[in-house]
Amino acid sequence: MAVIETQGFRLDNSGRRIVVDPITRIEGHLRIEVNVDAKNVITNAVSTGTMWRGLEVILKGRDPRDAWAFTERICGVCTGVHAIASVRAVEDAIGIKIPDNANIIRNLMHATLYAQDHLVHFYHLHALDWVDVVSALNADPRRTSELAQSISAWPHSSIGYYRDLQSRLKRFVESGQLGPFKNGYWGHPGYKLPPEANLMAIGHYLEALDFQREIVKIQTIFGGKNPHPNWLVGGVPSPIDLDSPGAINMERLNMVARIIGETIAFIDQVYIPDLLAIASFYKDWAKWGGGIASQNVLAYGEFPDIANDDSNKSLLMPRGAILNGNLKEVQPVDLKDMNEIQEFVPHSWYKYADESKGLHPFDGVTEPEFVLGKNTKGTRTNIENVDESAKYSWVKTPRFRGQPMEVGPLARYVVAYAMGRPEFKEPVDMVLKKLDVPLPALFSTLGRTAARGLECSWAAHKMKYFYDKLIANIKAGQLATANVDNWEPRTWPAECKGVGYCEAPRGALGHWIRIKNAKIDNYQCIVPTTWNAGPRDGKSQIGPYEAALMNTPMAKPDEPLEVLRTIHSFDPCLACATH
Amino acid sequence: MTPTFYEVMRQQGITRRSFLKFCSLTAASLGLGAGGATKIAHALETKPRVPVVWLHGLECTCCTESFIRSAHPLASDLVLSMLSLDYDDTIMAAAGHQAEAALEDTITRYKGKYILAVEGNPPLGDDGVFCIPGGRPFVDKLRRVAKDAAAVVAWGSCASWGCVQAARPNPTKATPIHQVIDNPVVKVPGCPPIAEVMTGVVTYIVTFGRLPELDRQGRPKMFYSQRIHDKCYRRPHFDAGQFVEAWDDRGAREGYCLYKMGCKGPTTYNACSTVRWNEGVSFPIGSGHGCIGCSEDGFWDKGSFYDRLTNIKEFGIEANADRVGATVAIVAGAAVAAHAAVTAIKRARSAKSNEKVEK
Amino acid sequence: MATEMTGREPVYVWEAPVRLWHWVMALAMVVLAVTGYFIASPLPSTPGEASDNYLLGYIRFAHFAAAYVFTIFLLVRIYWVFAGNKFAREIFAVPRSMLKPSWWGGLIDQGLYYAFLKKEARSYQGHNPLAQAAMFFMYLLGSLFMIVTGFALYGEGTGMGSWQYKLFSSWVIPLFGQSQDVHTWHHLGMWYLILFTIIHVYIVVREDISSRETVISTMVNGWRVPKP
Ligand code: HEM
Ligand code: HEM
Ligand code: NFV
Ligand code: SF4
Ligand code: SF4
Ligand code: F3S
Ligand SMILES: [Mg+2]
Repeated sequence: MAVIETQGFRLDNSGRRIVVDPITRIEGHLRIEVNVDAKNVITNAVSTGTMWRGLEVILKGRDPRDAWAFTERICGVCTGVHAIASVRAVEDAIGIKIPDNANIIRNLMHATLYAQDHLVHFYHLHALDWVDVVSALNADPRRTSELAQSISAWPHSSIGYYRDLQSRLKRFVESGQLGPFKNGYWGHPGYKLPPEANLMAIGHYLEALDFQREIVKIQTIFGGKNPHPNWLVGGVPSPIDLDSPGAINMERLNMVARIIGETIAFIDQVYIPDLLAIASFYKDWAKWGGGIASQNVLAYGEFPDIANDDSNKSLLMPRGAILNGNLKEVQPVDLKDMNEIQEFVPHSWYKYADESKGLHPFDGVTEPEFVLGKNTKGTRTNIENVDESAKYSWVKTPRFRGQPMEVGPLARYVVAYAMGRPEFKEPVDMVLKKLDVPLPALFSTLGRTAARGLECSWAAHKMKYFYDKLIANIKAGQLATANVDNWEPRTWPAECKGVGYCEAPRGALGHWIRIKNAKIDNYQCIVPTTWNAGPRDGKSQIGPYEAALMNTPMAKPDEPLEVLRTIHSFDPCLACATH
Repeated sequence: MTPTFYEVMRQQGITRRSFLKFCSLTAASLGLGAGGATKIAHALETKPRVPVVWLHGLECTCCTESFIRSAHPLASDLVLSMLSLDYDDTIMAAAGHQAEAALEDTITRYKGKYILAVEGNPPLGDDGVFCIPGGRPFVDKLRRVAKDAAAVVAWGSCASWGCVQAARPNPTKATPIHQVIDNPVVKVPGCPPIAEVMTGVVTYIVTFGRLPELDRQGRPKMFYSQRIHDKCYRRPHFDAGQFVEAWDDRGAREGYCLYKMGCKGPTTYNACSTVRWNEGVSFPIGSGHGCIGCSEDGFWDKGSFYDRLTNIKEFGIEANADRVGATVAIVAGAAVAAHAAVTAIKRARSAKSNEKVEK
Repeated sequence: MATEMTGREPVYVWEAPVRLWHWVMALAMVVLAVTGYFIASPLPSTPGEASDNYLLGYIRFAHFAAAYVFTIFLLVRIYWVFAGNKFAREIFAVPRSMLKPSWWGGLIDQGLYYAFLKKEARSYQGHNPLAQAAMFFMYLLGSLFMIVTGFALYGEGTGMGSWQYKLFSSWVIPLFGQSQDVHTWHHLGMWYLILFTIIHVYIVVREDISSRETVISTMVNGWRVPKP
């Protein structure tokens, strides 16, 4: 069996092979295979995206103004991010400048998604990796209440509240119908929370499930529905007129303001205290799961404060890359440089004319080709083990200057931290101090999960910021929400190309479009989870998922809790990754 | 014996009064009137929680996201108290083997009694390799679980019609579920469907133990028997001939009708203009964008969302009825003119030759 | 079935109901096409309160009123196939006529004539075979198509309980796939009928000028009269 040395990791696939498929509590279909040595330490990790729909193929020949709706359907969890990237790509290609209000409303809707998506990820997709539902049955409601009140001013924390919750839980468990909690890893030695903390977290699991519905109503107000609100090339579809019943008026704005207040309260009084409380029991996890986060991270930047300006002067969340762990120097990122960002397919189920080379997405090609390597165990319709020396995933392999990059909240925080932006640096230092861990602890499963929480709070406060900006604009008599000068295709150049950037909740997202005779000639997306979940490249360099699993000890390899913890810390989205 | 829904609610400290209130709210949301509430209450008091298996094929998980937005009932109440969501890879605690074991257990233990809810669809191209959760084609899993299901619900336009991945050229041969399984299928189209429509359909099935009344295409009549246009609050502007002519124009701010911006409300069956979205906050038209017809079969392939007249695929990608018609009419007009000219010339000639003969 | 003119005597061809039907139907069709066009591509917006305006409402009303007239007159015309003279049957009998070789001979002759390859056309008391074919395939089937698709669209507005919905929408919409497609094909049908009308009116005027019998006045007074 082969041993590969790469990026400081030693990949050895000789030990016992463990397959986790489906990886649950994620979006889409992901398969993870790992090898463990005699001590149950992971020595090789393989990440396989097991779905593909072909959006890039489907988009060809269509009206570029419709593309946002198609690409939005790449994912309903990070709903809207592809729409933003898409309208920006089309606007960039044609040279459309959007009005200030449209920029603010887009930012506000996007920050809304950050708040909701991160919250749902923490409580509903990630928490059960740390919280033992069954252990909560042994909690003392009085002490749970004390615990809750000691960490937060959140009002739902009385003894009675937790007693009710516990009896509800008890009946549920006793009913024998455990529903989604059936066959969980309850009692696994990896669970470290005391019963009281478990009970508190379950209470917040349910509260968060109810509350996330509120947050998204901001998207509904401006976009008509959520998930999958409506967007528009040239601006936003919702007009503003304080004196009309048919537009964004005082009643609508008041609802937005109310929801923002509640969102900030929930995140700061529930999510953040829970995160810190839970983290304090899992400091071990500051050692594992870092992968390549300490080496290479990438962010395209987001939340342009100045409409139509994507320089770091305007981006509230900065653009940049860290290479080889050099935090002293933040690399510039140019999405149009044909040599910087490229996608490779030697280990992906696609074919290129020359697979030793990467393609910049302007020239990207998406042609499926499902072939399995000769070391595959099983058949093409019953795969037992994939062969990572051959093609093994529907995810492509993106590279930045030839390097694999981690993207996502952690990457964004690292870039902003390295640039010394106080809004990002100060909270990070605060958390490190509170947990009493050094800066490198950030490059871990725990660090990734913590960064997401901080970012969720940052986004919630930014919602308020954008709301205030919108009100100030309206006060100043600025009402425009769309620029229709170039709405008609006859005003477009015969041929043009553009790029749409976005920082989606899961990381850096780009859409590249070529338009010819008013139709889409080529459309390529490189998505956060493409960066993180992608398979190896031609030089056997491993990507963030595979790297993050390396060297992690597993307590009981048949109950792959550790794999779930690290993979979930990235918040995978495979519908996004493969599209 | 598995406890009934009512027992579970009681056990969870919910009073009979709030239980009955819940029933009447559910009845109201289903449009069942006062009598309906008693029926729901009775049904809930006597039935154990129905197991639900929720499968994901090729999709975007937006239907799940929509589902958890449900306000009445709350998704948390539904999942904890009204049914037993035994398998759903998006939210379940177990993964890998443990998850698959949970599925096996449910479909054998509750054979013929569980509900299968399907989000997304199976790709049939290339042996189904475009969706292989667990290393096997999704279509096999779908067929296996469907075999012993008491009822099958198709979530969203993916499962119902094919949706975006089935848009031309449908590279994976994504196929709506009713074409690959034998069970009758309740289609709940929409991209995604409205949360309360989704939960309304499930609660209907678990409380009454039967499928809601369906239309010819398999959609529940209670939500899909009217067009957006029929109950659109902008309809008076439509009748008045008052339209948004350009984004953000005077008419847009006044809330004029979006027909000229390509609104597909007149041809779209869904409950958006009645139930609305996210607890009634708005719906696409309510926020200034036309309906794109997201609950209709093949809505991706009817031409631009902003064109009122849509494409006719039989005439190539780029042809709408007026363009085809006007072209034909012009050609016919030209042919007629040419024909008339030739006729006139011939007549003139023969008139001359006649004259000659007479001379 | 196509009766050639035998003598130089006037023939009573179009009975009053046929004549009335023809002109009412022609008028209805013009109204339908104009209003239909504006339903699809409405006029520029009128400002003011919605309650003070009803422009598209009136246009749609005119369309539906004309649609009923159009449909009822076609039904009456179909009744007249049985009650009327043999000429009233001609265009409906095309499928049966097509079984006869002589009809095809006439069709070919007429085609050659319009292609200027034959100097004289045969004279018919009613329609020549080519006209019959056009009337049947373009006019009659086209009109039925418009009625079926039109009522299917209409039934969407009157709702699931209505007879229009039960009789038409309930099967027409699934047949086409979805409502949008029915609109598109209904719209296309308009152009099909416009095409027929262009050709029809041209031929009628042309024949009126050049043939040896009356044509336009025949559809006014009923008599096919040889020109002096
Ligand atoms: C919407 C427009 C029209 C339609 C759909 C239409 C349709 C028809 C049809 C179906 C017939 C056959 C009657 C039968 O055999 O029962 C016919 C005959 C006739 N139409 Fe029209 N018509 C239209 C307009 C006109 C106009 C504008 C004229 C006059 C300029 C006209 C003159 C005639 C004449 C003269 C005949 C009798 C032809 C003959 O004697 O062979 N029609 N038309
Ligand atoms: C000569 C016959 C007819 C012509 C030329 C005609 C033409 C049209 C056209 C062009 C449209 C617009 C279609 C679109 O693009 O959406 C339309 C719509 C419509 N037509 Fe007709 N039509 C005819 C007969 C009928 C009949 C017999 C009915 C039966 C009631 C009918 C009912 C309708 C309805 C309900 C609509 C949709 C109106 C709306 O969406 O507001 N039409 N028609
Ligand atoms: N990866 C990813 Fe997304 C995000 N966030 C998209 O761009 O999740 Ni569906
Ligand atoms: S129907 Fe639409 S919203 Fe639902 S999964 Fe499919 S693409 Fe997503
Ligand atoms: S906005 Fe759309 S649904 Fe509403 S009246 Fe106008 S066309 Fe109909
Ligand atoms: S786009 Fe879809 S959400 Fe409703 S208004 Fe139209 S059906
Ligand atoms: Mg791509």
